[in-house]
Amino acid sequence: MEIQLLQQPDSAIARVIFNAREELVAEAGAMIAMNGYLNVSTTLRQGKGGGILGGLKRMFAGESLFLSVFRSPTAGCELFLAPKLLGDIFHYQVSNVGLVVQATSYLASGSDVDIELGFQGFKSLFSGESIFWLNISGKGDLLLSSFGAIYEIEVDGEYVVDTGHIVAFEKTLNFEIGKPGSSWLGAFLGGEGLVCRFKGKGRLFCQTHNASAFGQLVGAQLPPR
Amino acid sequence: MKNEMDYTIEHSPSYASLRLDLKANETVFVESGAMAAMDSCIKMKSKVQGGLMKGIGRMLGGESLFISEFTAQGKPGQLFVSPGVPGDIQHYYLNGNSLMVQSSGFVASSPTVTIDTKFQGFKGFFSGEALFLIKATGEGDFWFSSYGAIVEIPVDGDYVVDTGYIVAFEDTLNYNVEMMGGLSFKSLRTGILGGEGLVCRFRGQGRLWVQSRNLFPLLNFFNPFRPVKSNN
Repeated sequence: MEIQLLQQPDSAIARVIFNAREELVAEAGAMIAMNGYLNVSTTLRQGKGGGILGGLKRMFAGESLFLSVFRSPTAGCELFLAPKLLGDIFHYQVSNVGLVVQATSYLASGSDVDIELGFQGFKSLFSGESIFWLNISGKGDLLLSSFGAIYEIEVDGEYVVDTGHIVAFEKTLNFEIGKPGSSWLGAFLGGEGLVCRFKGKGRLFCQTHNASAFGQLVGAQLPPR
Repeated sequence: MKNEMDYTIEHSPSYASLRLDLKANETVFVESGAMAAMDSCIKMKSKVQGGLMKGIGRMLGGESLFISEFTAQGKPGQLFVSPGVPGDIQHYYLNGNSLMVQSSGFVASSPTVTIDTKFQGFKGFFSGEALFLIKATGEGDFWFSSYGAIVEIPVDGDYVVDTGYIVAFEDTLNYNVEMMGGLSFKSLRTGILGGEGLVCRFRGQGRLWVQSRNLFPLLNFFNPFRPVKSNN
């Protein structure tokens, strides 16, 4: 499988060229265009409290964990994928080190990559952000998307990131979710929401912009539902 | 022989803007409201191309009724054209053939190009993702725009595109709108607009342009953030 990333960084689009009988799993709705010969089917990932109902719940929480599976009967089939919002795509090679991905940042993965819906980390009372994590393991290609540009931090020791800016991090990092300052009141008034404290050694991927902050800013100006 | 206008597409692919360098007395058609800046020697005139009925046809096609005509009077002048949505601009030279363009994709054209509304996809009508196309024919320059970047695909055989991402395609391609089971989440609606797995299948040989983003998912994204109407 060959993956090219075009038009980076703000309008990024991924071009995938398949070998014969290769498979790619992608977020529902990520397909833009493809060869007519590709076979497409849908699948649903079950997590804790999963099943169809769990899937529905997640869907209403803004998560679509419905996935499309693309199967190539012959070599040379082509597929274009893109995330929904403006931003970049990042190509990560999954190997022995597993990865934890924020569910909205997942775009696509090879068939030997296992996706497991992780725990729903927490639901922030303040910012209304609910974050789902995907546990990624196995081996192969993984495409992640970001809202805005994507940047990498090599963590060695301790690091603090606002939860809305996390795209993914390697499992060698331990993390705990907490407040940015010493008091909850400060966290609320400061508008910083919640942060992740990472400890250990590993790679961490962040996005320059926070989609839910953007959604709140614009959404509040729209006529009521 | 080609008689191309002098043009530059700047700030592509995300914030593309079209700069036209008009020769003395040269005229160009521009999507109404898309003019951003120009030399003072350029004079603007609003017109309904092809008469009133065709204009109304265009209005139904989601295209604004008026196309503005810009003419550099007496001396050369510069004109900047910016589409309403940030994205990319693509140039196409019509050589007697036809180009089908998604209805909101028109940016500018030579006055020798005829623009016609062509209805397609009442099938897609219920979904809010109707596929309306305009047809450009004749000889001359044509510019079209997208939301997000434009990717050119040389189609040879069979190609499938999500209807929301079509920007333009050559008339040599056959097309029809269909539902694709593997992409459909109709029973589990994923949003207010789209998500039905409606695709356009192209057959034959010709060039096709798709955009890397679509406005409907952006609208869907904002929907949960809207304030809730109170019942009091």
